[in-house]
Formats: sequence, structure tokens, C-alpha cells
Amino acid sequence: MKRRYFLKFIGAGGIGTGLGMLFGQAIKPPGAKLIPYLIPPEDVIPGLANYYASLCTQCPAGCGVLVKIMDGRAKKVEGNPLHPVSGGKLCVRGQAGLQALYNPDRVQGPMRRKGARGSTSFEPISWEEAIGEVTTRLNDLSAKGESDKLYFLTPELGGHLGKLADDFMAGYGSSNTIKYDLFDYRNLRYANRASMGIKAIPHYDIENTKYLLSFGADFASTWLSPVGMSRGYGEMRQGGHTGRGKFVQVEPRLSLTAANADEWVPAKPGTEAVLALAIAKEIVDSGHYKGSDLKTWKKLLSPFGLSYASEVTDVDKKRIRHIAKEFMSTRPSLAVGGEGISGYSNGVSGLVAVNILNHVAGNLGIKGGVQANSNDLFGGNDADTVGAGIQTLINAAKESKVGLLFHYNNNPAFTTPGSAKAADALKNVPFIVSFSSFLDETTALSDIILPSHTSFEDWGDDFTNPAPGFQVATIMQPVVSSVYKTRSLGDIFIGIGKAVGGTAKAKMPNDTFATHLKASWKRLYAKDKGMSASSFTFETFWRETLARGGWWNEKSAKKRKLSVSTRSVARHVSKEPAKFEGESSKYPLYLLPYAQAGHLDGRGANIPWLQELPDPITSVVWDSWVEINPKTAKRLGVKMGDMAEIESPFGKVLSPVYVYEGIRPDTVAIPIGQVHKLYGRYAEKRGANPLEILPSTVDTRTEVYALNSTRVRIAKVSRPGDLVKMDVYTDELGRGIVQTVPTGGQFKKSSHH
Amino acid sequence: MSGILTKLKDKLQSYRVPGYRTKFEYKWTMVVDLDRCNGCEACVVACYAENNLPVVGKRDCDISRRFSWIRIERYIEGEYPDVKVKFIPIMCQHCDAAPCELGCPVYATYHNQDGLNVQVYNRCVGTFTCATYCTYDVRRFNWFTYKWDSPLEQQLNPDVTVREMGVMEKCTFCIQRIRVAKDTAKDEGRKVTDGDVQTACMQSCPTDAITFGDLNDPNSKVSKLAKSPRRYRLLEELNTDPSVIYLKRVMDEKKGHGSSHG
Repeated sequence: MKRRYFLKFIGAGGIGTGLGMLFGQAIKPPGAKLIPYLIPPEDVIPGLANYYASLCTQCPAGCGVLVKIMDGRAKKVEGNPLHPVSGGKLCVRGQAGLQALYNPDRVQGPMRRKGARGSTSFEPISWEEAIGEVTTRLNDLSAKGESDKLYFLTPELGGHLGKLADDFMAGYGSSNTIKYDLFDYRNLRYANRASMGIKAIPHYDIENTKYLLSFGADFASTWLSPVGMSRGYGEMRQGGHTGRGKFVQVEPRLSLTAANADEWVPAKPGTEAVLALAIAKEIVDSGHYKGSDLKTWKKLLSPFGLSYASEVTDVDKKRIRHIAKEFMSTRPSLAVGGEGISGYSNGVSGLVAVNILNHVAGNLGIKGGVQANSNDLFGGNDADTVGAGIQTLINAAKESKVGLLFHYNNNPAFTTPGSAKAADALKNVPFIVSFSSFLDETTALSDIILPSHTSFEDWGDDFTNPAPGFQVATIMQPVVSSVYKTRSLGDIFIGIGKAVGGTAKAKMPNDTFATHLKASWKRLYAKDKGMSASSFTFETFWRETLARGGWWNEKSAKKRKLSVSTRSVARHVSKEPAKFEGESSKYPLYLLPYAQAGHLDGRGANIPWLQELPDPITSVVWDSWVEINPKTAKRLGVKMGDMAEIESPFGKVLSPVYVYEGIRPDTVAIPIGQVHKLYGRYAEKRGANPLEILPSTVDTRTEVYALNSTRVRIAKVSRPGDLVKMDVYTDELGRGIVQTVPTGGQFKKSSHH
Repeated sequence: MSGILTKLKDKLQSYRVPGYRTKFEYKWTMVVDLDRCNGCEACVVACYAENNLPVVGKRDCDISRRFSWIRIERYIEGEYPDVKVKFIPIMCQHCDAAPCELGCPVYATYHNQDGLNVQVYNRCVGTFTCATYCTYDVRRFNWFTYKWDSPLEQQLNPDVTVREMGVMEKCTFCIQRIRVAKDTAKDEGRKVTDGDVQTACMQSCPTDAITFGDLNDPNSKVSKLAKSPRRYRLLEELNTDPSVIYLKRVMDEKKGHGSSHG
């Protein structure tokens, strides 16, 4: 009965939209506000809130949300309690999405470039002009027979919007859709396909596991599906149905997630894969693994002996053996690999090593282990695992092979390493069309901006990936009228497609994206037995699905066997640790740029709530910093808050120092997301961007940039620092504020520690 | 006449005796499980959104003017590589023997009929006494009338007052949500049942670390959790009798990997 709190979920998005139109910015002649309540809209009582189910797009996880609407304005975003991933919960970025909707620095309507490229001088134009201009450019290109010179750079567009964009591109005659996000799990998808033959990201069942071994997966703040995984984490600890699970985290820097682990294993950066395989070898050698291919595994893992692994990883032999023993004897156990193992030059190999570890311990396809997700996704999009990546686009742009670029929302001028020179390459493109709603570094380079809606103003859907073991489709509906003169991205594609004509027009059978979405779901309804059995007519089904927030069926979970064979992974197993640029004599410290909870790849930096949210570990606000071990800091002569210059072979940045015990003495870490040159008043000109000094090293198998791939040196700068921390003490001073009980005796009565 | 006065005096005094709450219908209580809390700060943003907390900027953060009604305190213990990090969400503890209530010269902060420590903005004259008396550093003062850059103000929650310069404020246990639940219950002729009220922080918490409910109801989730052997209250030795109950984190403190091999 908990859900009764949400008085009612209102299904028809049209009501919210209609009311919003009357109250919103778009239409407000004097007196207009009075008229609607002569005939008050049904379901709307002034001063009472309605909750609309929708989809969060602040990260790719695809959480279902409820948006609280009062008098046509969005007031709060909460998790949708019915949704299998979010379960009524929501993370910092999801909740702060409101400040993206009502951000004062949004692009307020279509604009055309006036000054030089990058000068941010734009003039407003009408939507008709904007669509007309893009159509002309497209027609010019196809008249020259160069349709394939159209590139579309976008993050993964979930669900039917992605399919519509694909249809448009195919209809126009270009195969160049480039999907890019700084954190888009291409390595993970590739590794899983290579080792287990699965395309969809599997469900990592943290909730039911009893021993979680995480290789740099910061799931409490950013990795994969933070809300779903944190829910699982809470249950693993105190859910009471399996007993308290143990959690061990391997990574060079003690992240927010590692702070919650029972044990922290600070392996040397780049050697995590070796550690995983050494543990796997221990398990295979111990006789725990019973497969018929035992011999081939023994042979494949033979180079990863304890002495070698211990020497390379800087982890004690006894400790490796102990972890191996616990990992195989605790049933079920689970190993996951996050950015801390996939973010190296050999990222795919690291993730394959994690899969091997799960395989030999017997964690594949079981409850509390790794469970396969279906590939079919109701016949919707499946994630493209190995398509062309951003490096392909940058190279094509450099060689002037890009005639026209469509760009949406991923800001490569900020989110790619400095030495990839993405911004310079983009300047080679004769005409850039941006669909972004914010004037960020990349949008500033465009020639014309056709700003699209935020998720609160638009229709859409997403086939959640990773799903929780069964298929989940979440629907996004407009909950307020558009704040500015923006348009739905789907409508923009339909508009352009219809104007261009030919096959592109034929591929756009509907007039609006809203009708397109509904028609597409009608086809799914006809095809999927579960859907058509749920209600008599499509109209009822659609109404119920909108009210619920999407479609999922827990019973549709199918058990699927998963395994890893030596044949498929042999070519990805390597004895060598990851490579780092810069000689260790000149550049003695490893650099770890990491995603911070509030900012992810930098997209949260324009949101005041997130800027003023103290970093969970350092408690710093409105800034970035470089984390240095106290021993190293002493050697370098820097103190907390001093300014330091961090220099790699590729450049240098200035950053205040944060002295932190939770980082290896040979490693420094900088959070990603700050120092935007452009991106609105809250984001601009604060902190340091570690991406600026990274090499453009990629894992060649996936074109994913290796974030952890350079060494640096650090020097004190005499300039005064202005680090603002919210903590007063890092020590409890004996006040017993956070009290604890030892792991052995959690249910025994225990007094103050 | 003197009879009435004595009665009044007794009534007033009963407000100052810990344990008087048994006479009231509800005893709102929060239980925070530190073994579930992973320090993600979702609760902090939820509170900003629900309670119209202003963003003050870097300079004002530096001089302790940040407005968070709930904060995650983080403690770092030990030296590399034996480092332990601990988190604890701290909000107004709604003490039954609240030091702040004793100090206020104008009764702007007082104990209401549900055992909540509430703040009447209209009465507050900004003497700062309550914040000085507060044991938990949870009171926040409006040094200015804060502005929202348009159109950010469209997000402001109409159920919660937007405060002005000179007023003290703090966590209310989302009293606006409690009111709605009580009104609904009254309309339906029943008592508020467990789960009717969710505070914003509890609602957002991905690990389910925060639970809120009525301690007078023996079957409520908080009543059951409050009996946990892991229970403690913050700085309990000061006898403030807080309404927030913490459950101890399960961890082996100051124990390096050397000894954890067991």
C-alpha cells in the first residue's frame, strides 16, 4: 500500500501539455490565465499536484521517473515506484534534471551563426528558415552525389527516436551515424560479445550476491546504472534475505564506491586485468573449476602465477590467494569491471578478464551472478556494439570527407582528449547543424542551431540497457509545454525528411514524432504476445502504459546459460599491463581522470544544484582538484589547497591540491567535468579539465579513449589556491559520530566502539 | 483563576519533559541505516528541490552559508593503504529536549503536537540564538533574500514557503508532506498509516537507508528498526533526546588487509 502515496498517475500526457501551454512561457497574452478555469481541465485542481510517469535522460541508464506537476510547471522529479530499475529512487543528476529544463542559459530558439566560427555570435531565425536552410544544404550535398558525406554525431538515442534517426539517415543515403559518449560502455559491450556472445549488457545481480568483487566500478555514483545498482547494494548489505554480502573493491584511488567496501585493494594502475586473471588462475588450480575444458584454461592462465601477479600489481601474494579463496567459496559471488579496468589502453582485455573470472568461479547465468538480458528488446533497437566511433569522424573531418555534420548533445570538443583535436577537426567541416539545447563548446562551432526539447518537453522511449534480467521499455512523455522555442528532435528529423523529399520523405510516414511513437508502439503491441494479452484494445494498452511509465513483464525473464570459452577469449588475454605515455623518470605519477557523481562527463556542470553539491569524498564545491597522497604531497612540498601544475607530455593544467589518504602514492586523480569554456554561467571558467592533457590513445578494437593512459609530473605554483571545502574535520575527534559494529558480530549487542 | 494558571503551567512544563510525546497522536521518527548509506548525496539534492533551498555560490559556501538542510558528513581514518571512509547523513534531529527551543526569545522555534521541532518564519527575528545552541549544526540563516536566475524560479515548490532575509530555517521532516497525509487521512476518517508520509530524502535514497514513520505505531517500519541492536543516537550523551535514530555501520575499523586474511 506504499504506493498509495502517489495519489494517482495521470496517463494522458496531453492534459499536462495542454495546461502547460496555457501557463507556459510560449503563450501568455494578458488574461489568458483566467479563461481555462471557466471550464477547468479535468483532473486539475489548482494547488494540487499531478504526477506524470516519464523517463530520465540525464545518463544512459534509463530510469523511470515521476514528475510532479503543479499549475503547468515541473516541480520535482522522483523515481517511479513501479519501475523495475529506479524503483521509486533517483540519483543526484536525475533529480537535478529540472534545472536543465529551467536553465537560464538554454538556447531559446533556432539560431544562425553571424560572426566567425566559435565566436558565439548567433542571430535568431524562425523554425521555417532553419529547416529550409538545412534542407538546402542536404539537397546541395545529394545533388553532388555526396549523400554519404552527411555525418550524424550523437550519443546512443534509445528506443524509437534512434530508429527514426537511422531511418532518416538511411533514406537520405548516408551510413555515417557516429555514436559517442565519453562513458558509453562500448568496451563492455564488445568484451561481453567477444567472450560470452551476448549483445545486450547483462544484469549484474548485486542484490543477491554474497561476495562482490569490483574492479574499478564506481556504481554508487556513475557506473552503468547507479540507481539500480545502489538499490541492489542496499539490499545486499541489509536486505536480510541472504545475510550480509561482502564487498571488495580493486582500484588505485578510493572512490565513493570503494569507501563503502569492506576491503580496498589499491592495485597498481593498469594491472587490474593481471590481478583478475591471477585470481582466476588460483581458482582453476584449486580444483574449484570442474569444466571439461579445464586443461585449456590451465594453459591459458599459466602465465599469471602469483609471483608475477604480485610483482606487477603491487598486491601481496597472500592477499591474492585469500581473495581467490573467498571469491570461489562464497556462493554466489560476482565480479564486475568498471571504468577502473576498461579505461586503459587495453580496456577490452580487462573486461574479458573479469568475464573469465566470473566463468571459472561459476557466476555466469545464476542468481546473484551475471544474468543475460534479451537482445530482442521487443523488436526495438539493439545497441550497436562495434560501429564506427568518434575517431572515425575526427579522421574523416581532418581529411575533409565530412560535407555536413548533424550534431546532438555529446559535446566532443569538451569530452575528447586534448590531443585528439576534435574541435580543430570540426572546423574543417563546411557546415555543422547542432540540435543541442545548450551553447556548449561544440555547439558554438556550429553554423546553425536547431535546439531540441529536454526530456520534460518531449516524447520518446528507451529500451533500458542494462535491463534487470527481463525486458524494460520506458516511455517519455511531455509533462510541461516547452519553456523556450525548442522542438522535439524527432519532429526536427521528420520536418527535415519531409522537406528533403525522396526516400527520406518516404521513411517518414507520420507528421509528428508523437504519432510516430504511438504507431510504432501499436506495431509492438501487435507483435508482442505479452502486450496484446494485457488489454483488449491498443488504446487501453497505450493509456495504461503511459500511466505506468512503460512496459515490462517480470515473468518474461528467461534463464539463459552463459559461458566463456578459451577459444573466444584467447586473443584478448595479454600478460602485459596497460601502457602509459611519458617516461617514468620524467613523469613519475599516473594520472587518473574520473567521472564525478554530479558532473559525469561534464554535462552536469551547468546545473547550480550540482555545482553546490559537495563532492562526496573531498567535499569540494564549485571546483575541481587534484588528489595527491600525503607522502607524495610532502615530497612535492604542496599542502591542501595549494595550486599545482599538472604536466603530461601533452600539456598542462592548473589545479588546487587535495591531499587524500585514499590514493596510491604513485598516482594522482582529477575529476572530469569542470572548466568549460562555454556552457552557461554556472559552468564556465572554474576548475581544471584533465581531458586537456590526455593522449588520444584508444583501444583499437572499439575506438574508446583510454582515460588512464598517461603519466604526469606535478609542480607547486606560487599562485594562491581558492579551494572551497565543506568539511571541517576529516576526523571524528573521538566524538563517536559514525558508530560501527565489527563485521563478525553485527547482530550482537555492541556498545560504542 | 489560579486553577487555570496551574493547569496552564503544568501544560507548558509538560512540553519540557522528555517523554511527554506519548500523549500525542504521532511521534514522527527517522531511522538512518549507516550500513546501507553509500554517501551518494541523492538526499541532498532531493531536499534542495523539495524545500526551495537557495544556491549561494562559491564565495558564500566558503564562509559557511551553504543552505543544505541535510548534509553527508564524511570521515577519513587511517593511513594509506589502510584507509576507512565513513559517511553519515545529518539533518535536524528534532530533539525532544531541544536546546534551540530553550534559547529562542520569541518562540519562533517550538515543539509541535507531533513531536516535531518546528520553526515559525513569521516569528523569527534572526537573533541566531538557536543556531548557536544547536548541537548538530543544522540551522541555516538567510543572510540575504536569495534570488533564482529566471526561469529557475518556476521549479519552486508552492507547498513550501520561500524564505526571506533575516530568517532562520532548518529541516522540517518535510512537514508539508505530513500535513497532506494527515489531511487525507482525516478526510477518510482514519489515522495516518505507515508509508503515507515519505520525506524527500527518504523517497530519493537509492539504498533505502532512510526510513520515516510514526514511532507510536508499534507495527510501523521505524518502530521495528528502532529496536535493532545496532541503534544509537547522535551525541546521545548530551541528552537532547533526538528523534533520529541511526543504525551502526558494519565495518572492521582500523584493521588493515594484513589482519583481514583471517
